Amino acid sequence: MLIPIIGLLIGVLLGFILPISIPVQYSSYMSVAILAALDSVFGGIRSSIEKTFDIQIFMSGFFGNAILAAILTYIGDQLGVPIYYAAIFAFGVRLFQNFAIIRRHIFSSHKNQ
Amino acid sequence: MNKRLPAYYFMFTTIIIGYFLAVQLKSVEDPYQGIVTIPKIMEMRSEIESINKEMKNLASSINESKLKLEEYEKSMGKGDGLDENMKKELETARIYADYEKVEGPGIIITMNDSVAEVGEYENEDMYLIHDADILEIVNELRAAGAEAISINDERVTATSNIRCGGPTINIDGKRHAVPFVIKAIGDPITLETVATSPEAYITLMEYYEIRFDIQKVEKMTIYPYDGGYKLNYQKKIEDGE
Repeated sequence: MLIPIIGLLIGVLLGFILPISIPVQYSSYMSVAILAALDSVFGGIRSSIEKTFDIQIFMSGFFGNAILAAILTYIGDQLGVPIYYAAIFAFGVRLFQNFAIIRRHIFSSHKNQ
Repeated sequence: MNKRLPAYYFMFTTIIIGYFLAVQLKSVEDPYQGIVTIPKIMEMRSEIESINKEMKNLASSINESKLKLEEYEKSMGKGDGLDENMKKELETARIYADYEKVEGPGIIITMNDSVAEVGEYENEDMYLIHDADILEIVNELRAAGAEAISINDERVTATSNIRCGGPTINIDGKRHAVPFVIKAIGDPITLETVATSPEAYITLMEYYEIRFDIQKVEKMTIYPYDGGYKLNYQKKIEDGE
């Protein structure tokens, strides 16, 4: 459980140190990318608790979801319709679902002890 | 080893998340054009305040110029009879140009939008007062010999414009809303007769129950035009040139 948090800290540090900033018009891409990555992490935690963790599925989901979400956002930008809401909605729902399942696993394992 | 492996992948993905978060946080610090946030509202408020201040400054500069002008007039007035004549002439010219506060008999027309029920297939525009209506009435008053006209105490000069401003009417760029009080100095009887004659524009508008109140008065004041001088392009030329 400690390693993801360490990773997060390293990432934040890197982000603040490296002199790269994203233009404002790409902020919707960033929001979708962050959500996609968060979704993957929660899915990964859940599957590792359930002992069904598969590296290939995890990594392909991580990159594939982010790329698909970015494509949706791009299409939406071109059409002038915020299609990326669909990605945000899907990822958001899955994120909370995965979190709920993780909670249940943690509490049930506590009770068993 | 196999058991620790997922954790390193998590670390990899969380590094990316953290990186994105930090980069996004950094770019949000720049003025953001999308959603209206509280800092943005504050910023706009201070902008409005500075514009108001600028307007006040401009108004005071107008006052200053007026004071200067008065001084010139005073220094002119100290001379002999010739200067006195010139001063009188200047005053007449200023009255003609609507730069003086004037007083005299005339009529006051107060008008407001109709409160009548609008029929299903009727155009509700007919029940509202528009810029064109005001223009028409001003024109009729001028035809009836009105010498000075003001709308909501905004002096209508020879170069004034009356335009549509959405729900309001812009007179020389200043917004005015209903009720409109049109003051006109002239012969009260002539003015009233023309304004209420069967062919008058007001009679037409009364058909749509636009509320009119026409008052004859013996004495009223009309405020001067308070904008700046408008002569930027035209120059006098001598005959035969």
